[in-house]
Amino acid sequence: MSFFETIFAPGAVDIMLNIGIILIKIAVVVGIVMAHVAYATYFERKVIGHMQVRLGPMRVGFHGLLQPIADFTKLFFKEDIIPANADKPIFYVAPVISLLAALSSLAVIPFFEGFVVANLNIGILFILAMSSLGAYGIVMSGWASNSKYSFLGGLRSSAQVISYEVAMGLSLVGVMIMAGSMNLTDIVKAQEAYPLKAFIFPQFLGFFVFIVAAFAETNRTPFDLPEAESELVAGYFVEYSGMRFALFYAAEYIGMIIMACLASICFLGGWNGPFEIPYVPFAWLLIKVYFFIFLYYWVRATVPRYRYDQLMGLGWKVLIPLALLNITITGLIKILV
Amino acid sequence: MNVKKIIKTVFFTEIIKGMALTLKSMFTHAVTRQYPEEKRPAMPGFRGMHAFVRDPETGREKCIACGLCAAICPSQCIYIYTSEGPDNKKVAERYEIEVLRCIYCAFCVEACPVGAIALTEHFEYSDYSRDALYMDKERLLSNWDKYMAGPRGEEYFKKFWHPVSADFQAYDGQPVFKRG
Repeated sequence: MSFFETIFAPGAVDIMLNIGIILIKIAVVVGIVMAHVAYATYFERKVIGHMQVRLGPMRVGFHGLLQPIADFTKLFFKEDIIPANADKPIFYVAPVISLLAALSSLAVIPFFEGFVVANLNIGILFILAMSSLGAYGIVMSGWASNSKYSFLGGLRSSAQVISYEVAMGLSLVGVMIMAGSMNLTDIVKAQEAYPLKAFIFPQFLGFFVFIVAAFAETNRTPFDLPEAESELVAGYFVEYSGMRFALFYAAEYIGMIIMACLASICFLGGWNGPFEIPYVPFAWLLIKVYFFIFLYYWVRATVPRYRYDQLMGLGWKVLIPLALLNITITGLIKILV
Repeated sequence: MNVKKIIKTVFFTEIIKGMALTLKSMFTHAVTRQYPEEKRPAMPGFRGMHAFVRDPETGREKCIACGLCAAICPSQCIYIYTSEGPDNKKVAERYEIEVLRCIYCAFCVEACPVGAIALTEHFEYSDYSRDALYMDKERLLSNWDKYMAGPRGEEYFKKFWHPVSADFQAYDGQPVFKRG
């Protein structure tokens, strides 16, 4: 069989077509998410600025709208400094792991009916696994930098992620019980029968636990101990500069977007809304995700950082019992009703 | 823990209060002043770049080369070289201020018996070389023409730089500084 026959064999064409479609989908998703990441940094500075009665970026372009492009250009052309005593292979690979874990979570998120890169049956599990993989990037960068500040940041992060992973996983169990599936598309469809097409009312406890755990999972204020600017300079990525720093930064913001997507899909009904918005199937998801991202900024502008023992206490003594209570109640109702 | 405190903890009353405050302040006007575009007007009595007051009668400086400004200057940045001018008067042949060393205390203005030196409202004079900020007599006079000439200078003179000796009534025979 010649090369062309192999390519144009009846089954092969389908496979190639599928691969092509998947590649296009990946390109679209990554492109859109990267654009959102760039402008998430801009709007974060803008929103927090206005909350602190400042203006935020104003110089680059109209009201600073070109700021992310300027930032990216600057980071791209900056010198890539590697500390002399750094563990080089690990130092190189850590930001890549962080970004990779964050980006691969995007594969299972359904943006609207039928648009998902990989319609995985274990979507939630996959996202949880990827978010804990991201912690490896943090721990490795903290270790490889050979600096006490980044090491402390890495340690704090690993402890924090392990603690809050549990609470986050448990808070999603209620959703899984109600939907009877771990597939995110199925979860959205299961919510259509509920008031406002959302799980938020029966699962308010799970929603609360999930939101708090998501803040901790993405290392955002008030749980930003791994990168506590005022005590650890920048935490685990102090020693990184230029593009490697940008990779960590992008991973953090993609993590935020994923958590916002997950909250919208699992608790607020994903692409379904109280009424239909014509021609824009992803409009409701976008609105919900923007709200959650705004919430991240809003909380960052308001709430001071938790102390380390308070953080651990909240995770283990409050959130996990609450999540367990939620599972028990949801399970009992599911059995009895 | 009483009931009130439990309710407060469970419903995050305080955090919600704080969030309401930040949301509210998000929609208030920012206090930032966009400096190069939005300039703040100089307050009266502002002490900026130095100038030599140009005497409207003679069209030259009022300086009588007494050297009091140089003597009182805390940072010693005024240099005066005197010589004998026409009709045996003492004149400042060179009068130079090293602006980079000046601390803008305006002691020179206070010390001047004839009100010859002034501090203008001009403060944006950064430059790339030291020479550009080394003022000689001609540049000091041109500073006056640029920033203080006309009614503004007169008003400043009345309010802030009026020499103390001008109101001072001396008895006969007491040595005083006089122009002319």
